[in-house]
Amino acid sequence: MGEVILTMKGIDKSFPGVRALDKVDLEVRKGEVLALMGENGAGKSTLMKVLTGIYTRDAGTITYEGREVTYNNPREAQADGIVIVHQELNMMGHLTVAQNIFIGREFRKGPFIDDAKMNEEAAKLFARLNIDIDPKETMSKLTVGMQQMCEIAKAISHEAKVIIFDEPSAALTDAEIDRLFEIIRSLRKQQMAIVYISHRMDEIKRITDRVSVMRDGAYVGTLITEECTKDDIINMMVGRVIYEDPKTESQVSPGAPVVLKVDHLNAGRMVRDVSFELKKGEILGFAGLMGAGRTETLRAVFGADPKESGDIYLNGNKINIKTPQDAVKAGIGYLSEDRKRYGVVLQKTITENSTLACLDEYVKGIFIDGKKERKITKKYVEALKTKTPGIDQLVMNLSGGNQQKVVVAKWLVNNCDILIFDEPTRGIDVGAKQEIYELMNKLVKEEGKSIIMISSEMTEILRMSDRIVVMCEGRKTGELDIAGVTQEKIMQLATMRD
Amino acid sequence: MGKIKNNKVVKAIGFNRIVLIGVIILLYIVFTILTPILHSGVTFVSYERIMSALNYAYFIGFMALGVTFVIATGGIDFSVGPVMFASALISGFCLTKYNVPLPLCLLISLLIGLAFGTLNGYFVSYRFLPSFITSMASMQIAKGIGSVFTKTQNVTWPASGSANSWYRYLVKWNNIPTGFILLCLVAVICAVVLNKTKAGRYMLCIGSNKEAVRLSGVNTKKWEMIAYMICGMLAGLAAIFYVGAYTTVQPGLGDTFNNEAIAACVMGGTSMAGGLASILGSIIGAVIVALMQEGILAMGFTISYQYVLTGLIVLAAVTADIMSRKRKN
Repeated sequence: MGEVILTMKGIDKSFPGVRALDKVDLEVRKGEVLALMGENGAGKSTLMKVLTGIYTRDAGTITYEGREVTYNNPREAQADGIVIVHQELNMMGHLTVAQNIFIGREFRKGPFIDDAKMNEEAAKLFARLNIDIDPKETMSKLTVGMQQMCEIAKAISHEAKVIIFDEPSAALTDAEIDRLFEIIRSLRKQQMAIVYISHRMDEIKRITDRVSVMRDGAYVGTLITEECTKDDIINMMVGRVIYEDPKTESQVSPGAPVVLKVDHLNAGRMVRDVSFELKKGEILGFAGLMGAGRTETLRAVFGADPKESGDIYLNGNKINIKTPQDAVKAGIGYLSEDRKRYGVVLQKTITENSTLACLDEYVKGIFIDGKKERKITKKYVEALKTKTPGIDQLVMNLSGGNQQKVVVAKWLVNNCDILIFDEPTRGIDVGAKQEIYELMNKLVKEEGKSIIMISSEMTEILRMSDRIVVMCEGRKTGELDIAGVTQEKIMQLATMRD
Repeated sequence: MGKIKNNKVVKAIGFNRIVLIGVIILLYIVFTILTPILHSGVTFVSYERIMSALNYAYFIGFMALGVTFVIATGGIDFSVGPVMFASALISGFCLTKYNVPLPLCLLISLLIGLAFGTLNGYFVSYRFLPSFITSMASMQIAKGIGSVFTKTQNVTWPASGSANSWYRYLVKWNNIPTGFILLCLVAVICAVVLNKTKAGRYMLCIGSNKEAVRLSGVNTKKWEMIAYMICGMLAGLAAIFYVGAYTTVQPGLGDTFNNEAIAACVMGGTSMAGGLASILGSIIGAVIVALMQEGILAMGFTISYQYVLTGLIVLAAVTADIMSRKRKN
């Protein structure tokens, strides 16, 4: 293991009303991959933002290459060799790869930009990373994975010595993740120090050497990856044991009626001839890799995107769903993977969000019946255990898990019988995840709801589903009963390309 | 400071509305002091000046109320001024040239406004055009149509005392500013619609996150379009109060009033990003705009100064809005 290149000691950072970082220590060494873990809101991103000068620290020291440093902005940190590869890619789609990499510091020939030289330099970077990308290609034509590689190339072009990856794998396919890891390993070999922020346990085990864990803005401790188990890390993160036991058999009685039947659905490139059935009281898992067309399929079912062909039957009767209005009227609710954009109205209160899908029922004459509205909202805040100071709280002030509960409440207030959960626990911390799972189980068992759950997390699929539909590149490649299913089987189907 | 902000009355009215009322008082004092200095022999404090400022506040106020609905949905309407003039010109032309009965002419004014609002709303909601472009285009149309109709002639509505002049009582009756009472009345209705009805709830939610509202099964197109229709109709109503105060309308004008109506809204705390709107704020904003116009003229400056000032106010108010939202994030 290499020498220490970067030490953060006793870092404090407060925002109005929140102690975001509380005497945090962190040590990064040359030639190693350090995982930085913690629940959402644990302070990982804040710590990295303090390091790179996006935030100024209230107290503490940062020692880099033996000298104490303070950066005022990410540019200064970059110039010193500390670079962040962000989760959201900051790329300009209409520019070429090379132009993106050298943006802001273009090579010049007199007053003109020297594209030839930039392409040459970019090619050298890619060669160093052993990646095959054409520097002259337009950025928007690359896959997300390739774009990420470009970000890495850009980072390296800054003579980086410390590279911070902020949840780099969120949008990547498994093959792309493999590729990313190869690159990270080669960077490690070149004696770079790498900080890897991720929620995915299996990745932590695969790629990192040490794991530093944060909880509630404080440093908890550091483990050697090889010597610890997933449970060890999770315990440090949440301070409690979480069991992730899979379901062994379907909880749905064999005679349960089919509530929703989708027949030969086609909608664009990502939904080709998809058919499936959902039974009453069932949790039907939709598994597959990123870009398999699962979200597109269910959005088309819900009427959020137009369909080309295919029939939908509700309780045996054919229904015509052209818009979300039709779907909501038919008692279908859709919980998007992107809550903030498609789920909640952030600047409005919990009450306003809760009754959004069926405001008609909360109108007396021409006025909204505030009393009735508040009553039902209170009921569901209590039933779903939404953590909030009150029902007049703006949704933007709630945590991710509680925002998700507000979306669930919205559909329950509308009395929806079929709920489509698209990545229900994405961006939600471990504790809240557990609550969402319990809630889903309660909904099918006690309320007689039927749930379609899209999930990219294998453990989630295995734990929650009664039956699993697997998709790959817009087609349904298989359907499995939970009894006897294995990860390998699902993965096989998820990668079964034509 | 925090204590004041948490006071019940202050909360109900809104802190920045109270600040704005303070601004009105301050402006009044400043004009009172400066007018005799800058413009010798002239005084600012008089009943006539207040009535004159109110005359200006009425039509700006009605337009500002309408624009508030549009901005609440996250859009913008740059056509209200010319639409108001088109309404006033065409209905006035009907009254003076074709002897159409006065009540019908007032109705025509409202309907012309409504027609433009519907046009804007249709293209924004159902054809997905940016509201900025749509309302710019309809601004041109409104300017042109008014002129075409009157063959680029001024239209003068009947003066007080002549037949068909009772419409002027809507603005002032026996020295009572009836216009102000009616403006407040309409404002109350607007506030109720925006805050207590389904329509208002949907509009504000659309302004915050249209796609989430659509995915909740709400017919977002319909409600968004209705906001533009309300806006258009209120521009038609503003026309009645414009002629009620000034009687004469010239063709090809009106666009300077757009900015004043929008300035009134943003000053009053309606966020250009949508989702947040204050009817009371828009009314107070309109009064400030009107008071400034009166003050500038009283101090002996030309109206051009008012345009410069309105522009600066829009910049300042929108900057303040964006900064306060950044701070919250």
